[in-house]
Amino acid sequence: MRGYGFRVLLWKELLDLSRDYKTIATSLLLPLIFFPLLGLLSLALITQQPINVAIVDLDRSTIHNDLLNLTFSSKDLVRELMLGLEDYGFNVVIGNDTDVLSDPDIDLVIVIPRGFTRNLTSLNSTAQIRIYRRANVQASTRAESIAETIINGFSSTVSREKVEAMIRVTGLNASATAILQPITTREELVTISGRRVGVEEELKGLFARVLVLALSVVITPATSFIIDGIIGERERKTIEMILSLPIPVSMIIYSKLVAATMLGLLTAIADALGFVAYIMLTTMALGGSVSLPIDPALLVLHSIIAFFTILVTISISLPFITRTRGIRSASNIASGIAIIGTIVFFTGFLVDYSRLPTEIKSILYIVPYTHSILSIQYYVIGYTLQSMIHLLVLIVLSIVLLAISTKLLNTEKMLLAPPS
Amino acid sequence: MLSELVVEAWDLVKRYGSRVAVAGISFSVFSGEIFGLIGPNGAGKTTTLRMVATLIRPDKGLIYIKGINVLREPIRARRHIGYLPEEAEVYPRLTGYEHLLFYARLRRPDRVEETVEFGIKLSGLGKRIYDRAGDYSKGMKRRLLLAIALMTRPDLAILDEPTSGLDVYASVHVRRMIRDYVRETGSAVILSSHNMLEVEYLCDRIAFISRGKIISMGTPRELLEKYGASNLEEAFVKAVEGARGS
Repeated sequence: MRGYGFRVLLWKELLDLSRDYKTIATSLLLPLIFFPLLGLLSLALITQQPINVAIVDLDRSTIHNDLLNLTFSSKDLVRELMLGLEDYGFNVVIGNDTDVLSDPDIDLVIVIPRGFTRNLTSLNSTAQIRIYRRANVQASTRAESIAETIINGFSSTVSREKVEAMIRVTGLNASATAILQPITTREELVTISGRRVGVEEELKGLFARVLVLALSVVITPATSFIIDGIIGERERKTIEMILSLPIPVSMIIYSKLVAATMLGLLTAIADALGFVAYIMLTTMALGGSVSLPIDPALLVLHSIIAFFTILVTISISLPFITRTRGIRSASNIASGIAIIGTIVFFTGFLVDYSRLPTEIKSILYIVPYTHSILSIQYYVIGYTLQSMIHLLVLIVLSIVLLAISTKLLNTEKMLLAPPS
Repeated sequence: MLSELVVEAWDLVKRYGSRVAVAGISFSVFSGEIFGLIGPNGAGKTTTLRMVATLIRPDKGLIYIKGINVLREPIRARRHIGYLPEEAEVYPRLTGYEHLLFYARLRRPDRVEETVEFGIKLSGLGKRIYDRAGDYSKGMKRRLLLAIALMTRPDLAILDEPTSGLDVYASVHVRRMIRDYVRETGSAVILSSHNMLEVEYLCDRIAFISRGKIISMGTPRELLEKYGASNLEEAFVKAVEGARGS
């Protein structure tokens, strides 16, 4: 009867939930629509946002170095800057003098001063370019960064040509690459077992951090649902008939918890997918491309962790929620718990918990969410056993806390609001 | 047919902090009998009914339902009870049929279909039973909830203000439902009400409650004779005044 009774109660909860379009829309559809929409909006706005760059060539000269037999011109740099910046969607204008600095429509001004080509061509001077960026215009930072990349590329080409010419003139047995880049580094990504992996492994880590952050947004809808399931039913006068049924009060609580946790779990998946879509779209907006490697085992692990994270949250909040007088005070308690959860998961997004010193980790172990974070982080870096241990701790903690909180409840506490 | 003892309540006491809600109430109810609890607001009627329904634990006293100690075995006792709270509400997103199905599955898992059929008949909602309960009128909701309380043919039906807030037509329908149900099943009913006409029409025995105590108990005829009153309302007022005087 116990299993059957639980199934019937859960059937009612899920039937009711499936017709609660407002909750479904806010919990599931919003993150799935909202985050990609945010990404699309960023994409649309960034491409629509006119960023005007002015290039002022005060030098306008071409100089030949007789010794090296090399010719350099400021016009070459101007052309490269124009083509490069226009490729990224910036509006580029050629200015005649530095008066463009006072034009409010210009966000970035690149000035090639007089004597630039002379210095560039010589062997004992450095040529300088001045970049004026409009303060507080976020997109001008990106234009500046792209301009610097183009200038650095131009600078490298010039130095290579100079060194090659010097080698040619002196007849030295030398290589331009060896002179310009005497030390090179070679980076390879490996797992903890030393196995070589591709760059997608790094992205897996980023995805895992997003999954940790996604846990913070699953707590609120789940606790709201459980508040509605207990305090809301008390206020709507539907709980008394349920409590008079020949079933233990714990079974009623469990059915509500499982329904709330299922909602939270679906929210977690929707949030994670929404986040991924957001990251991909914003990266595309910035001119990059992302192809996230989705590890099915990681997704399964995340789902299990989300389930027990929600369960542990509800178990902690349950005794407090049931002793409140109404939805408002219960929501205040739930908000407090959600804020703590958000803080912990946000630190999990930024900090590698698995790398923290043991003495700090030992203190953090008291917070159940630490085990949620560690289980995901250890799995991603390849410590499967540690990941499973933390998952097990999370499961045990949630079951123990749930057993304690339901022991503290009875029909009277569920039915009657505490005296004010 | 011999009446069987269904409910025995002895010296029930319930306090909420320093306030005494029920101060030593005792009564018995037999099968086929409708027993009414009459009293002003705050007299302790709902607390008494909730204690019998096993929802609230008395601070003192004993309750037996069909010989089962309610305090020791509340879940076993609940199998014999159908309960309609005073301010019960429906789940607006579920249909009337789904309500019946849900409660039938939990109360009578061995006879779900038969129980739901009886529930549909009791409610008198016809085809509207398949509509969402949130669209029902107050009277329809009350009939649905009463059908839920009675459809399993419980040995004891506890009905707290069954016609509360209903119009005349809906009240008449609910009263007929209760009377016909007791005639058909021989179950025991405890009900509380403010409506003296309703009590006179339905109840075999009545207990007047004031300030958490039963101040008088008997059949309507016995109470009228005891207080020399022409109607129950007058008898109730005299009983309350008498209790205050003593």
